[in-house]
Amino acid sequence: MVATDEELVARSMAGDAESFNQLVLRWERPIYALAYRVIGRDEDARDVCQETFLRAFRALPGFKGQAKFSSWLYRIALNLCRDWIRRKKRTPLVEMPEGVDIAELAAEQGPVESIEDLVSRHEMSGIVAEGMKLLPDEQRTAIVLKEYHGLTFQEIAELQGCPLSTVKTRLYQGLSVLRRHLESRGMTSLHNGRAS
Amino acid sequence: MSDPFVCDDKDTLIAYLYDEIDPVVRRRVEEHLRVCAACTAEVTALSSVRVELASWTAPEVELDFQFVRKSAAVWRPAAWWSGIPVWAQAAAAIFVLAVSAAIANVQVRSGTDGLVVSTGWMAPASAAPAAVAVPDEVAHVAADEAWKPALAALETQLRNEIRSGRDNGTNLVRASARTADDATLKNIELMIEASERRQRQEMALRLTQFNRDVNMQRQADLVKIDQIIGQYAATSGAELAQQRRTLNYLTRVSNPQQ
Repeated sequence: MVATDEELVARSMAGDAESFNQLVLRWERPIYALAYRVIGRDEDARDVCQETFLRAFRALPGFKGQAKFSSWLYRIALNLCRDWIRRKKRTPLVEMPEGVDIAELAAEQGPVESIEDLVSRHEMSGIVAEGMKLLPDEQRTAIVLKEYHGLTFQEIAELQGCPLSTVKTRLYQGLSVLRRHLESRGMTSLHNGRAS
Repeated sequence: MSDPFVCDDKDTLIAYLYDEIDPVVRRRVEEHLRVCAACTAEVTALSSVRVELASWTAPEVELDFQFVRKSAAVWRPAAWWSGIPVWAQAAAAIFVLAVSAAIANVQVRSGTDGLVVSTGWMAPASAAPAAVAVPDEVAHVAADEAWKPALAALETQLRNEIRSGRDNGTNLVRASARTADDATLKNIELMIEASERRQRQEMALRLTQFNRDVNMQRQADLVKIDQIIGQYAATSGAELAQQRRTLNYLTRVSNPQQ
């Protein structure tokens, strides 16, 4: 039976490092993906991810379980992302990861996805990344938390420290900016109001 | 909840879009969408944006963060100093040596005999005042004037004593004075020996501690370097595997008949 986060946290607090490693294994991908999408740089996202778990490990004795462990991790990671953006004093640069080539992706996908579909998806990914770059930090973070991590409006409001209605407004405004960006890049299905 | 849906209510549309909405309100929105083309187009377009967002994936990277407890072999007796810069640690080490040298009264002189190292208990009794009395030429000149009358008085006193000694022939007094001098000398020698022993033990203890700390730090650094090299090796291996996969694929693509 798979241990829950709460059980692993309790064991970690009792000094079981292996339990904490299981939590790391379970959450490192989501935290990395969050950091990558918010700050947009692979290397920096790795650093933020690693630092998130380091801080969580150090702060574990103070974790009283008022929030979910994952929410607690997200909060630490978002604070680090915010610090990173402030420290670098630059707009997050969303870029495609280095070393990703269509050929390799196609080889991994196998016969399920044609090379044309793959190229199209890769291009779309780049266009979306460009659009995300246009968004203010708060809107981008809200969209990332909602779209890619499935958090509720309430959870996002708590993480961002704002009212629920503000979260909805940020989401609406962010999606509208992305919509215009996609339309400007020839995504005619959006212009025609046809869901793909 | 019983309020009717107001056309173009963005918050409610977003709640509807993400299906985080009260069922009653949902029904009202759906009723509205059936009759409002503008709101329908808005919801459809935003839904399409959401579909396109799914194409943006984070790179598949090897993370494998691991928390490893430090073993006893890597125990650091002075973990608090790991945050102190190396130059500050070196300065502290020099300071400790300097204090030890000061305690032991170590003196290093360069003279005609070459480099001479001596400790307080090894130096002749007259050496210390001499070292203090001759700081520079100016002090020399001032001292010339100060000690001349005192020297003259001492000379007079000695002459008087010698004269009176000759006159009285008091050899017994001289013998008793020599005995007292010998006892004092012996006491001083004993004190110096005890002090020397104490200083030597103190110095040996400090040097041992310093040596042990340096060894511990060195051991920890070696472990760290070993880990870093291991990480680099793993990264290089992953890159090689990736290149090999790409090459294999290109080979397959360039030879479709095989």
